[in-house]
Amino acid sequence: MTTIRAEWTKLRTVRSTWWTVLAAVVLMAATAGQLAIYVANGNTNDDPSDDAGVVPLGSVLIDSLELVQYAVLALGLLVITSEFTTGTIRTTLQCTPSRGRVLLAKAAVTAAVTFGLGLLLGGVGALVASPVLGEWGAAPVAGTLRDVVALAAYLALIGVLALGLGAVLRSAVLTLTVLLAVLMIVPLSLREPDITALHRIADAFPGEAGKHLLTGDGQPYPPAVGLLLLAGWAAVALLAGRAALRRRDA
Amino acid sequence: MITLRALTKRFGETTAVDELTVDIAPGRVTGFLGPNGAGKSTTMRLILGLDRPTAGQALIGGRPYRELRRPLHEIGALLDARALHPARSGRAHLSAMAASNGIPERRVDEVLATVGLDGRAAAKPARALSLGMGQRLGIAGALLGDPAVLMFDEPVNGLDPDGVRWIRQLSRSLAAEGRTVLISSHLMSEMQQTADWLVVLGQGRLIADAPTAQVIAGSGLAVRVRSPRPAGLAALADRLTAAGAVVESGGTDELTVTGSTVERVGELAYDIGVPLHELTSHEASLERAFMALTADHVEYPAGAGGAA
Repeated sequence: MTTIRAEWTKLRTVRSTWWTVLAAVVLMAATAGQLAIYVANGNTNDDPSDDAGVVPLGSVLIDSLELVQYAVLALGLLVITSEFTTGTIRTTLQCTPSRGRVLLAKAAVTAAVTFGLGLLLGGVGALVASPVLGEWGAAPVAGTLRDVVALAAYLALIGVLALGLGAVLRSAVLTLTVLLAVLMIVPLSLREPDITALHRIADAFPGEAGKHLLTGDGQPYPPAVGLLLLAGWAAVALLAGRAALRRRDA
Repeated sequence: MITLRALTKRFGETTAVDELTVDIAPGRVTGFLGPNGAGKSTTMRLILGLDRPTAGQALIGGRPYRELRRPLHEIGALLDARALHPARSGRAHLSAMAASNGIPERRVDEVLATVGLDGRAAAKPARALSLGMGQRLGIAGALLGDPAVLMFDEPVNGLDPDGVRWIRQLSRSLAAEGRTVLISSHLMSEMQQTADWLVVLGQGRLIADAPTAQVIAGSGLAVRVRSPRPAGLAALADRLTAAGAVVESGGTDELTVTGSTVERVGELAYDIGVPLHELTSHEASLERAFMALTADHVEYPAGAGGAA
């Protein structure tokens, strides 16, 4: 608990944390607004092929994440990579020599903050998108709430994934590059050829697991499995991070 | 008490610390000396569990650092005063440290007062702190847990003369309270005034582990001779060298002689009729003792490597 308090103190006392939060909120408002405009326009213009019909509010929020998630990833990875670039990792490990404790505390703080941020983003997105969608939006309370909670859980887990990976790679740029590959590029490439085995592998990637968690499409596995898969990825990244912190000189 | 047992750290081919066995005892200021690259900082990092030893052990109060639950209560260290998040205030830096070891927030105010950082300086982002203020902040962090062992790596770096004096007094009073105080420095003169005991390192190996006075005495006394007659002084230097003493020339009118005595130099000068304006005995400086001790252990001897 003391380590968690220390990590929370560190996170809240640098301005970049709050700039990242602000960036995420602004991005969310802009993206959700734009996607809502597309839906409304598509339904009201002369081209019937654009008609999306009535769209659930939750799906607009989820689609907005495509872009917004990068602000959250930045938040997660900076929690550890900034310690390496500034050298404060040595102070941190001096205060708490157990590498596992440090990383777990960071994971707890990152997950809590990104989950909370996810809820906030869901609210902001809904506030902006609902009036734009108007009659073309459907916002059943239970369904929308489920979507917002799933969205927050997704952001919390990829935040922790970014943290673990950052502990292994130490560099912010390298970590972001690998995250981009793992979340998007590799699974997309695997889906390119029409080979079932490759599709199955792609489905196991964290970004895809996240998609199945968020959309709840049930294909090829239900959202709960997507959640577990994503959590597994985050746990593996943390374990790898702990091993790296233990083995390597700080 | 810091206990090092056959502590060894190799980075690839280079051996930074080589089978170092030494005890740093409480109740006195121990100076940790050695030329650059001698392995002082690496040893400190090994003590703090930041680097993993290749072999051997470093213990604080009998336990390895990584086994300490709340280490700030056992050992406080200042390693690199520049290792701060540039956007975080000094106070927030200390608050996070305090929180990690269950130390109450009011202790942050206490240590800030002890090191002489006022509220305004502590509220600034770290990037706005001078190196001297950074050192004070680092020392404040070391003092947070009121530990029995303190370790400062080059603490006088970047401090003004007042700051240097302050570090000296602080180290002495901490040692007087019965704490173990280990200070690394390349400033021999500073150590001469601060340290009761010296641990000298060269190429990662222990060269000396003795009271400061003894290390200095070990290098022999020096005799200073001044004369208004350069020719006579040169002749005196020749006679002294022939008699086995080591003579250094300090300009045309001055000699520094080691390996001889005031009496012997005086008699020789009388024999060859050289008038003297000064004939004094000097305790050899730590500088000189240090040079003699580490002469064979300098990794980059001056002039050998050029600009590299």
